[in-house]
Amino acid sequence: MHRNEWIPTVCYQCKAECAILARVEDGVVKEVKGNPLARGKMCVKGMAGVTTLYSAERLKYPLKRVGERGEGRFERITWDEALDIMEKKLRELRERGEAHTFTYSMFPHSTTDPKWRFVNAAGGFISTGLPHCDSAKIMAHLHTFGCFPNHHIAPMYYTVPKGGLMILSGRHPFGCLDDACVPRDILNAKARGAKLVVIDPIFRSEAAKADWWIPIKPGGDAALFLGVCHYLLTNDLYDKAFCEKWVRPGDMDNLMAFIADKTPEKMSRICEVPAADIVRLAKMCAEAKSVCIDAFKSIMYGNAMDWGHVWSILLVITGNLDNPGGQPLPEIAPMAPVTPVPPAPNLKELGYHRTGPDKNRFDHYNFILEPTWYAAQAVKDGTLKVFFASECNPALSEMGSGEWRKAMTMRDEKGDYKLELFVVTEIMPSETMKWADLVLPDQTNFERWELLYMPWWYNYGHTAALCRPVIEPLHETRHANRVMIELGKRMFPEYFAFKDDLEYYDIELSGVGMSVEKLMDGGGLWSPGTAGFRKYEDAGKFNTASGKIELEWRMYADIGQQWPSPELPLEFRRGEKEFPFILVNFRTIFLNNTGAWSQNNAQLRDPVSGLDANPVVINPIDAKRLGIAEGDMVTVASSTGEVRLPVALSQRIKPGCAGLIHGFGQTMGKVAARGNWAGDNELIADAGSHLDEQDLRGGEAHVATRVNIHK
Amino acid sequence: MKQLSIMVDLDRCIGCKTCIVACRNHHGLVDHENAMPGEMSHYIRVESELTGTYPDLAEDFWVVMCQHCKKPPCIKACPSGAIAKDAQTGIVRIDKEACTGAKKCLAKCPYDVIQFDAAGNFAHKCDLCYDRVIHGLEPVCVEVCLADALRFGEKEILLMHAEAEGKELIKKRSTQSILYVKSPRR
Ligand code: SF4
Repeated sequence: MHRNEWIPTVCYQCKAECAILARVEDGVVKEVKGNPLARGKMCVKGMAGVTTLYSAERLKYPLKRVGERGEGRFERITWDEALDIMEKKLRELRERGEAHTFTYSMFPHSTTDPKWRFVNAAGGFISTGLPHCDSAKIMAHLHTFGCFPNHHIAPMYYTVPKGGLMILSGRHPFGCLDDACVPRDILNAKARGAKLVVIDPIFRSEAAKADWWIPIKPGGDAALFLGVCHYLLTNDLYDKAFCEKWVRPGDMDNLMAFIADKTPEKMSRICEVPAADIVRLAKMCAEAKSVCIDAFKSIMYGNAMDWGHVWSILLVITGNLDNPGGQPLPEIAPMAPVTPVPPAPNLKELGYHRTGPDKNRFDHYNFILEPTWYAAQAVKDGTLKVFFASECNPALSEMGSGEWRKAMTMRDEKGDYKLELFVVTEIMPSETMKWADLVLPDQTNFERWELLYMPWWYNYGHTAALCRPVIEPLHETRHANRVMIELGKRMFPEYFAFKDDLEYYDIELSGVGMSVEKLMDGGGLWSPGTAGFRKYEDAGKFNTASGKIELEWRMYADIGQQWPSPELPLEFRRGEKEFPFILVNFRTIFLNNTGAWSQNNAQLRDPVSGLDANPVVINPIDAKRLGIAEGDMVTVASSTGEVRLPVALSQRIKPGCAGLIHGFGQTMGKVAARGNWAGDNELIADAGSHLDEQDLRGGEAHVATRVNIHK
Repeated sequence: MKQLSIMVDLDRCIGCKTCIVACRNHHGLVDHENAMPGEMSHYIRVESELTGTYPDLAEDFWVVMCQHCKKPPCIKACPSGAIAKDAQTGIVRIDKEACTGAKKCLAKCPYDVIQFDAAGNFAHKCDLCYDRVIHGLEPVCVEVCLADALRFGEKEILLMHAEAEGKELIKKRSTQSILYVKSPRR
């Protein structure tokens, strides 16, 4: 491995997993850059990944808790001891008939993730570690036109024609949680004459490049776009030919009836975008050569299914499916199963891990990914006994972190922790690790093998990418996938009969005529071919039950959700008096701040190359009313918690909103713990504690809540 | 004298700071083990300006690095003759070996871009990736720029590109060899 060269691998400073090259000299990673085979870009977070790799603070060997949970006192143990502890507890759980009370909070990098396989073999429940923001978008598109995108299937900006329209609604693609080529692609589209409209309560770098910034009340996106649809439909400005041909008979009439009272004036009162601007946006859509929409934050406000539904309707009535500059409909390239395949949990029997009062009504929804396990609630009600976590940081970076921390130390009648075993794999000291019983030192993307694969094509040109070790792994680190394979071999040899992760990936890749070796020969990337447009024309149908586009969600008629509601999420409709501001958390490209490995990066916390502060941002209009000046220390309080922070006054935020950068507040890690900043999740409620209406409208408001601000 | 230059297109710079970190990696400016925020050398920085009042706002981002001045004040300030402007390329370079650590150049630089290595007792700064450009490569910041906002080449030719694309030189910023351009306000 001691070569001096650029080696193709995959970045992992965020979940976008861009294909990169690592410059290795004498066994040391010197620099990194985008892989030209993948159109060649890599963002600042990825560049700073080298600092994570060589940080003196990396976790070096397995640790076992010696103090109480939350104290963060550990002793060094061997890998064998660590595996013994996990095996013993999981066997005990199975013997008690409680296998399903085990879960693993993770971000599955592919449908082939060995950790996911292990959970299934163990009879546990998969938890994506993600709230179902993304699921709602996926489900909305799937219900309506039967396509299966994930959040990597953003619009193909490189196909947007001159005269096309790109709409970003609460989406921050210059923050690079998409492929790092996206910012350039958007700017290129603009340079060739496409228009960019940015809808966001906060003016950020996208808005700075936009032809038009539309500040909106958080959660108002469904209302705004219903107003747009109203204008298009009632003024005959929609794509009639497309709708006649492809929409299920009856749906257009019912849509017309539903939309009749969703006038721009009425919708304007909900979303606080002037009616004239709603009309202007509708006209832009009608005139554009193509329209694409991307949204992310705005589907995390608590009405994601409604918003995803409106979004889907707009794409349909403007005829923007699978056309250049519209919404891509990915294809599926199936991997080979590694047999025998462990059975997935029986959700019908075990139910979803929902703890909201509307559980029964919620169960109508058929989510693809099981919604997040609300760990705190599950510990309380005794349905979570063993918890593993990788690449997530619930003590700090997930909503309801305070509630979560409390749950980790809850005890039963006998005085034992209710959560019997908590295992964390992590690269750097994390906030979450303080509550763990076992801490397993993980590997960076420069040290591990990993097949990144989604069966639906990535629109960035590849469907499989290979992360490979470019240097010898440091310390006693082991990648979480390997740990789970090893544990799997001990406990379920029938399901883990393959030699190692490489053989596992080889079997899967054989389904598409590939192998790890061939992937490496091809520069670490593989694609089944070109994407193609309007595939439904060739197929003669959409991938729905009726073969047509289904605008009306008839399966939800009994819960009154066959059409999208324009209302703001409940979270924002109540408590306005007591909590007059809507707090919106946000990110920057030079800070990921979700996982501990990126929180504790000196380059990303540097004021020059990153960010070292998260003051609460409010508009000077609001500040004047409250008698608050720039730099004042204020208390920001929500119904669940409060933080003290300095104020930054800025024109870039909509009056009535407060902005806070996500993920600060660590006490672990010499870099991350510096500074007097606070975590936004202290303010966001644990979803399991306030799920009522959100159950039915597509999720919890997990990046926003109502707050008050005072000195 | 030829002048190799970088042209910064404000229509495209998104202020992402990718260039800063790539530059640090390439030039070995981070001691990953001991690096602490606020204490690391950097050859590039990002600046920005927000103008207007809500909701009519505009914001520009641009990068600042050594401007490779025509008559560099740092050269004049250096008591040991360690700084020189390369005749072939117009690149202003500091000779680490010749530098005596007088720090005079730091104070005289109008752009505040010269770094000081206390351990090695020498000044250092952006040299337009001299090691790369003499081999026909672009400076690292130009290569990695996420938005393709940076272009490298001879000053005169870059200016021709700008003209062809209808971009204007931002005169108050571009007095030296790093050229700042943008489209006339819409
Ligand atoms: S990489 Fe490019 S876009 Fe990003 S800050 Fe540097 S010059 Fe601007």
